[in-house]
Amino acid sequence: MMMSAHNNKSCFGMQFFRYVVAAVMIFLCFPLPLLAAEGGEYIAIRKEGSGTIILALNKLDAPVKEESRLAQSLDTIIHDGLDFTGLFTMISPPLNVKNSSNRDNVVLNFGALDSVGAAVYAGGTVTNTSGTISLDMEVYDTAGAKLLLKKTYHGKPQQLRTIGYAFCADLVELLTGKKSIFGSKIVFVSNKTGFKEIYECDFDGRELRQLTNSHSISLTPALSPDGRYLAYTDFSSGHPALSIRNLSDGKTFAVSKSGISIDPAWRNSSEVATTLSFEGDQEIYLIKTNGVISRRLTNSKGIDLSPAFSPDGNKMAFVSERNGQPQIFIQDMLSGQVSRLTFSGRYNTQPSWSPGGDKIAYSTWENGSEINIFTIGVDGSGLTQLTENSGENESPSWSPDGRMIVFTSNRQGLKKLYIMESTGQKQRALLQIDGEQMQPFWSLFRQQ
Amino acid sequence: MRKKINGIVVLALMVTAGCSSRSAVTSTEGSDKVTSPKVSSQSTEAPSTASQSLPASPTGYGFDQWQTGPLGDVFFDFDSTVLASAAQAQLKQNSAWLENNSAARALIEGHCDSRGTSEYNMALGERRASTAKEYLVKLGVASSRLETVSFGEERPFDTGKGENAWAKNRRAHFVIK
Repeated sequence: MMMSAHNNKSCFGMQFFRYVVAAVMIFLCFPLPLLAAEGGEYIAIRKEGSGTIILALNKLDAPVKEESRLAQSLDTIIHDGLDFTGLFTMISPPLNVKNSSNRDNVVLNFGALDSVGAAVYAGGTVTNTSGTISLDMEVYDTAGAKLLLKKTYHGKPQQLRTIGYAFCADLVELLTGKKSIFGSKIVFVSNKTGFKEIYECDFDGRELRQLTNSHSISLTPALSPDGRYLAYTDFSSGHPALSIRNLSDGKTFAVSKSGISIDPAWRNSSEVATTLSFEGDQEIYLIKTNGVISRRLTNSKGIDLSPAFSPDGNKMAFVSERNGQPQIFIQDMLSGQVSRLTFSGRYNTQPSWSPGGDKIAYSTWENGSEINIFTIGVDGSGLTQLTENSGENESPSWSPDGRMIVFTSNRQGLKKLYIMESTGQKQRALLQIDGEQMQPFWSLFRQQ
Repeated sequence: MRKKINGIVVLALMVTAGCSSRSAVTSTEGSDKVTSPKVSSQSTEAPSTASQSLPASPTGYGFDQWQTGPLGDVFFDFDSTVLASAAQAQLKQNSAWLENNSAARALIEGHCDSRGTSEYNMALGERRASTAKEYLVKLGVASSRLETVSFGEERPFDTGKGENAWAKNRRAHFVIK
């Protein structure tokens, strides 16, 4: 699964092919399905908003001594992966968690687990059979002593992270009933080469890859919800133009209208909306993936830009200066009716619609040199400030599970990518690479 | 990148009429724009190395054309596309030159300072370029000779912070094609 950094555009097909191969390999190898019914039950009994899940994560067993290093690596991967989500408080299980030393007849001591406060127990075994790693995992609800998940994950020794994250993804989806961040990608802009190019990394900042090599200015990347297309603004023609790249075959469609194009966004996986100015005024248009314009969405003198769609595609948030200064509006895609969303702050831009559909994150440029990120309910309620006293915080983008937000901040000088929980807690840098990084976009798409 | 741009800025400062936006917009109508370079403290850096570190420019865009052509830049107030009287005077001068050089075509680049958010600035930059173009068309320059583009805050003339730098970046810049 290790992907080297390519500058060559033709690597897109190969990259997508590798994803598919990896995904198929992992899926095909699962002999046991998720015990979904128990999972649903578990979610039902868990109190809403009761904080983190206390997870007793046991060290993996390695029946063969030579595999203990594999087990340790996977321990770290799984621990760090689950920790990244912010969903868990992880504790070591008590020493007497297993009341039998017979490997084939292990009985878990649920009383002991319960007494240390663990709500969920996870443990497993790692084996390496002629170059194929097998990770056998079991997850129990400690209160009911009930098996929630029993599943085997296979992969090559160099795919340990993929294997470990596949388990993490299942565990999170089982316990929360929602898609997890595992396998999701973040695309962003960096000027590390001296030009603004588009890059991609995993949700945790690993597996950095350069996606464009235009030696120009590439801006505002957005992946389609199905992960098949990348839309971005491309200056290689000398003008900012919309570029839509099919990631499976590398084919790129440019919308070669006169005027400029700014900040594309996907509506479902079939259409892109972006600002175009070929008719004189800057308006938002809907464009098919083959670059053909399907219709114009806004009709107001002045700047209209930065569309962001509700998950069902029925509503569009966007920025308009129709009232004099940039504010965020919501337009109904069927009726065309427009209502103003933001009233606090004089410069509100960069809306991002939450995957749950109920909130919009955006940035407010305050007087002075501060830009801060806020969330607001789509009905205008619940305005919440997420950043403060930390320079310019911009370009929020929600994680696919809606629990986190990736954004740009210059709090330490140069613009870098940061992540935080959608409440504003646990703000931390995502990755450390040269130059500045900006305009992150978190995909909905899961690699496996 | 920052170093390179600094180099470019230094080079530009050396060859243009001082660094102040005011000097560009208030020069008397019809006069040649050849003025002696003003030596600023920044020019202590060797400008000769700047040309070697110039990145390859995208098509249609010349890093070496900052303020050096016969068409002077037009400057704007913060978050504004309004042409102030100095800007109008500069555009009249530019239109006179275009009248006398009827084969020339110009690309008008709209630029912004780094404040605010970059997507909005891309839109604002285009409106600055368009406003300048519309004014020239009103003065009789054929619309077909004028092209516009926005660089938003992507290509600042001065990468510094503070109103001095910002004022230089809020401009419509002319490139003769």
